[in-house]
Amino acid sequence: MAPSSGATSPATASQLPAQPLPFKGRLADGDPSELPPSVALSLSSNSIVVFSYREELTHDEYHIPLWVSWIDPVTYFGSPLGDYGVTAFASLSVTDGDRVLGDYTAKVHVSKSYNLYHEPTHQELEEAARAAVRAKIDQKLHNDADRLAQEIAAANISGTIGR
Amino acid sequence: MRVAAALLTLSVLVTGCAAQGPPFEKAYAPPDHATIYVYRPYSYACSLLRPAVTCSDDTARIGPGGYHAFVVPAGQKVECSVESSETADKVEIQAEPRVYYIKEQFGWGVLTGHPHLNPMDADQAQTEIQSCCVKEPALP
Repeated sequence: MAPSSGATSPATASQLPAQPLPFKGRLADGDPSELPPSVALSLSSNSIVVFSYREELTHDEYHIPLWVSWIDPVTYFGSPLGDYGVTAFASLSVTDGDRVLGDYTAKVHVSKSYNLYHEPTHQELEEAARAAVRAKIDQKLHNDADRLAQEIAAANISGTIGR
Repeated sequence: MRVAAALLTLSVLVTGCAAQGPPFEKAYAPPDHATIYVYRPYSYACSLLRPAVTCSDDTARIGPGGYHAFVVPAGQKVECSVESSETADKVEIQAEPRVYYIKEQFGWGVLTGHPHLNPMDADQAQTEIQSCCVKEPALP
């Protein structure tokens, strides 16, 4: 499960190839290149369905006290001296006008240990956390995609009849 | 005098690694939620390690003599996991609206200790967690 040293990330879902959703939507705001893959593949500028996606990252770290590391011989053989972590929180809402069709949230924590000779970069951790949280949102969205597609189709039909 | 100072320093060094926080209190869980207590009785070995323990969406670093209550929705499979640079361990729970206990323990490793998560019987765990552990906060 662990992709590399000390990483805590649900990588299984992110390894699946992204598939578009059975409906299209437009992005309320934000960068289209920073979306869960299935949402990115389902964008259309003239759709009535709107995606609102938000991500938040929080950093944390833990260090073994320096005086212990100095006197501990395994430090010099590459024993971990602590770790850096990133928590990614994401929320996606799918709306049709004022109606909320779906609301999904996900949270992922990714951490990597460091030692005397190597430490992960913040960018590396952030990318891993973002990929993992997007994969989780994707998974939740795909589990609910049939219901969403039905609701959107029903809304389209009633909208057509109403006209 | 020197002996007293040395003993004082030693006691600070030893107890300084232990988790600090409020004593055990029962966590509130809404109906249709399960509570998973992950606790780590104090042990001097590996007391400086605090790997992140994740259950469902939440994560906490649990120090020696600490616990964290994870409240998760019932009716689904919940995975609790912990990783170090050398190893990983996980426990899967089919969450029902009740209380679960998991004990975090450390075994020997090559360069660092190996964390393990062990599901515990409620009777034993309730006694242990109330006597050993203080509350640890979740990571933001």
